[in-house]
Amino acid sequence: MPDVRIKTLPPPHGGKLVERVVRDPQMARKLMEKCSAVYDIKPTLFKGNPVRNVYREIMSVCYGFFSPVEGSMTKAELESVLERRRLLSGWVFPYPILFDVSEEDFKKLGVGPGDWLLLRLKGQPFAILEIEEVYEITPGDVAVRTFGTPDKNPEVVRVPFDQKHTGYNIYCSLNPIILAGKYTIINEPKIRPPFDRFWYPPKRAREEFERRGWTTVIAHQTRNVPHTGHEALMKNAAYIGDIKPCDGIVVNAIIGAKRIGDFPDEAIVEGHEMLHLAGYIKPERHLVTITLWDMRYGNPIESLLHAVIRQNMGISFHMFGRDHAALGEYYDIYATQILWSKGIPSFGFEAPPYEVDGGFYIRPQNIAEFWYCPKCLEFAYSDNCNHKGIYSRYSGSFIRGLINEGVTPPPQIYRPEVYKVVVKWWKEFGYPFNNEKYLKEREEKLEVDMPHMELPAHLKK
Amino acid sequence: MAKFFGVVLDETRLKEIKGTPLEEKVEPIFGGALKRLVIEVPDELGQKVIDQFTKARFDARGFIEETPAAFKRLVFKKIVEKKSLGPEVIEAAIEEIPSIKDQIEKEDRELPVPDIDISDILELQKNPVQKPA
Ligand SMILES: [Zn+2]
Repeated sequence: MPDVRIKTLPPPHGGKLVERVVRDPQMARKLMEKCSAVYDIKPTLFKGNPVRNVYREIMSVCYGFFSPVEGSMTKAELESVLERRRLLSGWVFPYPILFDVSEEDFKKLGVGPGDWLLLRLKGQPFAILEIEEVYEITPGDVAVRTFGTPDKNPEVVRVPFDQKHTGYNIYCSLNPIILAGKYTIINEPKIRPPFDRFWYPPKRAREEFERRGWTTVIAHQTRNVPHTGHEALMKNAAYIGDIKPCDGIVVNAIIGAKRIGDFPDEAIVEGHEMLHLAGYIKPERHLVTITLWDMRYGNPIESLLHAVIRQNMGISFHMFGRDHAALGEYYDIYATQILWSKGIPSFGFEAPPYEVDGGFYIRPQNIAEFWYCPKCLEFAYSDNCNHKGIYSRYSGSFIRGLINEGVTPPPQIYRPEVYKVVVKWWKEFGYPFNNEKYLKEREEKLEVDMPHMELPAHLKK
Repeated sequence: MAKFFGVVLDETRLKEIKGTPLEEKVEPIFGGALKRLVIEVPDELGQKVIDQFTKARFDARGFIEETPAAFKRLVFKKIVEKKSLGPEVIEAAIEEIPSIKDQIEKEDRELPVPDIDISDILELQKNPVQKPA
C-alpha cells in the first residue's frame, strides 16, 4: 500500500543545502589576504533608478535559498539556463545569476580568472568572489532569452517584453562584463528591523519546522499586504496535506527593489505577521519569512525560482494562483499553472517541473481564484460559486486606488488590524506606497547593516 | 476586449448623483461595502488613458488601475456633468488633464495620513511571536 503520510521535509534542491558563510573572523581575514582587489557593490540602475542590487543575490546564494547555485554563473552555465532552464549539473534553475561589472571598472580592477575579488557593501568587506571565468554578455539578448518571446514560447508568451517590464529592464541594465565564480560571505550582515524577525534562511527554516513538528508545509508567494482574499487563499489552499491539512502555512515575501506604487516591504511583512498577532491564523501554524531578491516578475519563470527557494526551506507544497509574479499582460494569466500542470516544452519542460529530471519534490497547488460572494456569504472559490455578476473580484491595484483616494477599505477587504499596519508605515514614510523618495532611501539603507571589518593592509589604497 | 474605468463612490459622491439616472447604474461591490460606477471604453481609448500616466495599467480584468486620484475626481466630475457613463466622459477628462497637473504631481510625493487610532496594533507588535535569530 502506498504511504499516504508525509513524514519528512523534502530534500534541498540539488540534494544539499549550500551554505557559504564564514563566521570566524580569523578565517575571514585569511581569505581576504588572498584577494587581489576590492570592488564596492553598486546598484543596477535603469533610467537612474535602482532596480537591483547584486548583494541580495549574494545573500540568497550564500545562505542557501538558491541551492545548488554557488555563485555567479559561467558562460556555459548561463547558456544552459537560458536554453533549457537547467544548471550544467542538470538541476532545474530558471534565471541567470550573474556578477556584472562595467568595462571601465573591470579595467580598473585588473583581475582575471584565478583571482579573488573582495566585495564591499556599505563601505565594509562583505563577500569574496573567486573568479573562475570572465566573459562578455549582450544584456539585451540575455533579457529577451530570460523571459521568452511570442515566437519562441508561443504556449505562454503573448507579447514581446519591453521597457514597461521591470524584470526585463533589470537584465537590459546589466553591465556587459561578467565575473563568474563562487561567492562566500566573510562578514555576516545584520538584518535590519523589521526584517530581522522574518529572516529564516533554509537551514533555520528547516530547524524551525522540525521544532514545531511540521512535515506538511504550504508556501505562499507574496508581494502584497494581505487582503481578505489572500487570506482565504492561504487558508483554503492549506487544506491540501496528507491525512489532514498542512501543518504549516509559510509566507515568503520577496524583499528587494520594488516598483513605484507597490506597498513598502515593511508594511508587507508586518501586514502578514498581523494575521497571526491579531488571531486570524494561529501563530503556531503560521510563519512569515523573507527572501532577498529583486523580483523579475517572470510569472512561470519566477515560479521555478519560488520552487527552488521554498523547497530549500523544507516546504512540501506551493500555492500558485493566476498571474503568479506577473506584471502586465506579457504572459498568459495562467502561464504558471500551465507550467505546473502540463509543462511548457519551449522553456525546457515537456512535463511539469515535479516530473522532469532535475526537478522538484515540492508539489503545486494550482488555485483558480477566490472572490467575495454576497450570496454564498463567503470568500467563494471560483470553481464553486456560480453567482455571476454579483461577486466581487480582488485586485491589488483596485485596493491601492482606494487608499490613494483616502477611502478606508471595508473589513470585507482588509482586516482592520492589517490596514492599520499600512497606516503605521504610511506615517513613518509619509506615503502609503513606494515612491521615488522611498526607493532611494531604501537603496541607501538596504535591508542590512554591515559590521565594521578591517581591510587587510595590501588592499588599502 | 473592452476596457473599464471604475469610480468608487463614497457618501459625498453618492449624494451628487442622487435622483439622476446614474443612480440606477451604481454597482454594489464587496457585498455592498463599496459602491461604484463603471465606464466601458474601447481598447484604444483605454490605452490612451494608460499612456497619460506612468503608473497606470490594466489589471487582469481589463480595468484601468493606478491612475491618479485627481484624475478619478475629474472623471467623476465629468460623469456628473454629462450624466453619462459613455466613453465621451473619459475623452473629456483626458482633455482636461493639463488643469490637474499640479495635483497629480503632488500625489506622487504626499498623501494625507488617515486619522485613525493604531495604538491597538502597536500594542500587539510589542510582543511578536517571531523573534530575530
Ligand atoms: Zn456565490
